[in-house]
Amino acid sequence: MTHLPKHARPRWRYLAVEIETWPDADLRRDSVQRALWYAAQNLLGDPGSADADLSVVRFRFGDGVGEAVVRVRRDEVSTGRAAVACVSTVDGAAVGLRVVGVSGTIRACEESYLRADGRVDDEREVVTQSDGRTRHVRGRLVDVETASGFVGATEIDYSETDSEIDYSETDSETDNSETDSETDNSETDSETND
Amino acid sequence: MTDVDDDRCEVGEGHVTDADDHLGPYEAVTAHPEGETTVARYAQTAADSEFAGVVVRTWEASVDAAAVREQTGVDVVSAVEVDADDPASASGAVGNARPKCDVVIVRGGTSTLNRFAVEQDRVDVVAAPLQGDGDVDHVFAKTAREHRTYVEVNLGPVLRAAGGERVQHLQSLRKLRELLDYYDTPHVVSARPSSHLEVRAPRELVAVGETVGFEPETVRAGLRAWGEIARENRRRRSDSFIAPGVQRVTREEDTG
Repeated sequence: MTHLPKHARPRWRYLAVEIETWPDADLRRDSVQRALWYAAQNLLGDPGSADADLSVVRFRFGDGVGEAVVRVRRDEVSTGRAAVACVSTVDGAAVGLRVVGVSGTIRACEESYLRADGRVDDEREVVTQSDGRTRHVRGRLVDVETASGFVGATEIDYSETDSEIDYSETDSETDNSETDSETDNSETDSETND
Repeated sequence: MTDVDDDRCEVGEGHVTDADDHLGPYEAVTAHPEGETTVARYAQTAADSEFAGVVVRTWEASVDAAAVREQTGVDVVSAVEVDADDPASASGAVGNARPKCDVVIVRGGTSTLNRFAVEQDRVDVVAAPLQGDGDVDHVFAKTAREHRTYVEVNLGPVLRAAGGERVQHLQSLRKLRELLDYYDTPHVVSARPSSHLEVRAPRELVAVGETVGFEPETVRAGLRAWGEIARENRRRRSDSFIAPGVQRVTREEDTG
């Protein structure tokens, strides 16, 4: 088929999307694309989904953070945004998505809103605490592995003592004696803070 | 002129409204230990998503609000979400919570709890009124307006559920929307996130709201309303507050 004349070609907009997951998740472009289509179809139905014509045209991911460029029809930016917001899991892994900007070209989208060097965020550091829990540190952000899954925190939660956060509730079954003393500490801490 | 006491009562013109336009959107979150994310991390995500503040539904959550505010610029509002089985126990919990925090929320979910929550002046927000067996009707909407109880529009299931559960929620949401519109009932909007990954930015919530029938301005107003409730309650809890429209002010000595 010949190319359409320029005035007859579809007009696109490109959504710059930031992606965040727990440290153990591994996302791939095709699984994100599938999740996006699924979300769009569920939210907008077949006709709405076809109108929005969402596709993931750029994708980078590593160590729990990533970014993507999502193409959408020009007059469907709002519905496209809604569909992106409704992607809550990809292959069973919880994902946080955020549209950080909209551009008319892929290049402008990447240059204005995404990381220009093509690398995804700074290195993630893995620290093992004295009690055996693993902390995944990325800049100010800290994800802590507990018995019942990850807990999202930041360096503020660790600014004073190592056991500022009280995990006793989530971990009570696995280790008793250690967490008891932690509980006492953090309770007195929070009282003095108030 | 005679000297004027430093502290004196002044009858004002009621609510202070001059800063209304400057309030940004707020999100009300379930924090660790009930949720999976600490308040500080929520604040970081909120800042990245252009929220002006977070309302912390979890009373047990520990946070250094000043440090969080300094680092992220996000306002941290202390709140309690009372989750009781019946009005009697909810009433006690509300009484305990009222003097301690800025926003008192009662989780609905049954018709009796919903009705209890909207009939109480002490309750600021009735949360998730459609959850479980909860249902709403015209009496609910009217009573909420009379008692200035905000009704929560819960977008959580729209974002995270699928299939029949979501369809049912959308049906209830439509009914709620029509009632809120008709009776001009105050409302708040939230995605009810229980981890920072479930937080969605204000623009996204507006877009999702639009696809399920809410006016964009309705959603924006609902996100701002959390901040308005917090500001009003902080004013009431401050030492200078005496009664609605009456507050203690510090006056400079009159000259001339």
